[in-house]
Amino acid sequence: MDLHDLTAAYALDALDAEEAEAYEQHLAQCDDCRTQLANLTETAAALAFAPRAPDPPVRLREAILDAARAERSNVVPLLRRRWVARTAVVAAAVAACVVVGVVVASTHSNGKRLASAVVVLGTGGRATLQVSGLGSAPHGKTYEAWVIPSGGRARPAGLFTSGTTRIRLGNVPPKAVVAVTVERAGGADAPTTTPLVSAQT
Amino acid sequence: MSRPQAHLSDEALVLLAARSEESALAELYDRYGRTAYGLALRILRDPALAEDAVQDAFLAIWRTASRFVPERGKASTWILTLVHRRAVDTVRREQRRRTESIERAPEPGGSAADEDAWLRLQRERVQEALRRLPDAQREALELAYYGGLSQSELAERLGQPLGTIKSRMFTGLSRMRELLGDPGAEMSWTSTT
Repeated sequence: MDLHDLTAAYALDALDAEEAEAYEQHLAQCDDCRTQLANLTETAAALAFAPRAPDPPVRLREAILDAARAERSNVVPLLRRRWVARTAVVAAAVAACVVVGVVVASTHSNGKRLASAVVVLGTGGRATLQVSGLGSAPHGKTYEAWVIPSGGRARPAGLFTSGTTRIRLGNVPPKAVVAVTVERAGGADAPTTTPLVSAQT
Repeated sequence: MSRPQAHLSDEALVLLAARSEESALAELYDRYGRTAYGLALRILRDPALAEDAVQDAFLAIWRTASRFVPERGKASTWILTLVHRRAVDTVRREQRRRTESIERAPEPGGSAADEDAWLRLQRERVQEALRRLPDAQREALELAYYGGLSQSELAERLGQPLGTIKSRMFTGLSRMRELLGDPGAEMSWTSTT
């Protein structure tokens, strides 16, 4: 059985359990298949939009949110566990200003932390963003920080190319989201790519 | 209904859901719940089973949001893949439903009047792409994706060698990808509400 041939069937969930398991083992070792699978899975998922969809019953939304709420007490968010240590580090780094809050966000791959963003909220709503672990921006691209007030437009908050840096964000209102995206060199007026990291204050 | 997170990207919402932000899960449901339910209903053709599949999938999103890696694909792909897999698992357990004619499944009666303009556009775009596929490729994709048939079952049902089925699925999906254009160019993040 040539496992490369199974990519489309896997994307369509058209393998039986045994075949799917064999393919997943193959996938761990085959870069080409992983790339092709990502593309074909995206296309397969687009098929979900084709059926004319009646409204789901209102109770379904409530049932999902009730069940999620009931489970929340069992979930220990990774980010909160790091809160104390992070706060100490950041507070030391910005000892010159009065820190009123810290928000940490990080991205993960297979349990390995890839990048983190720390938003330090100072007095008067001013804030700084500390980013680490992003790696340098790709050639011809820049990282761009954004402050997105709740219900408002994204405001460009600074460009940087080093993967580890600290920048001033200016005024950050409560419940705003701070995010970092990759943009073409020179920056953009509004985010055009998926955020690499984002944190809500 | 107030949607304070309506300006966030799907990916940002998944990151918030990973931090147990219930409102982020609610917003993801408001964006994809209808599509998820429509898909599950098409596959399962039983409203109660479809509801169960959608609920299972959204709870899986809630539990595993921290494992979502934005660099590997869009959040909407991840969400709809979870929904699809649950619906297919269910339909395979409910073998008896298969005896019905899958390809002549009636369209569920939708209340299209209040359908979100974006969803309608997506639906028309994907339906048009499907229409433009050669019949054999469209049939293979539809029986697999909406029928929940495995490739071996497809080969048997259509009386074709397995290799032919694999090739139809691969060529059909690849052609669909071209017809749908470069999805990477799509603006999924909007800064306006």
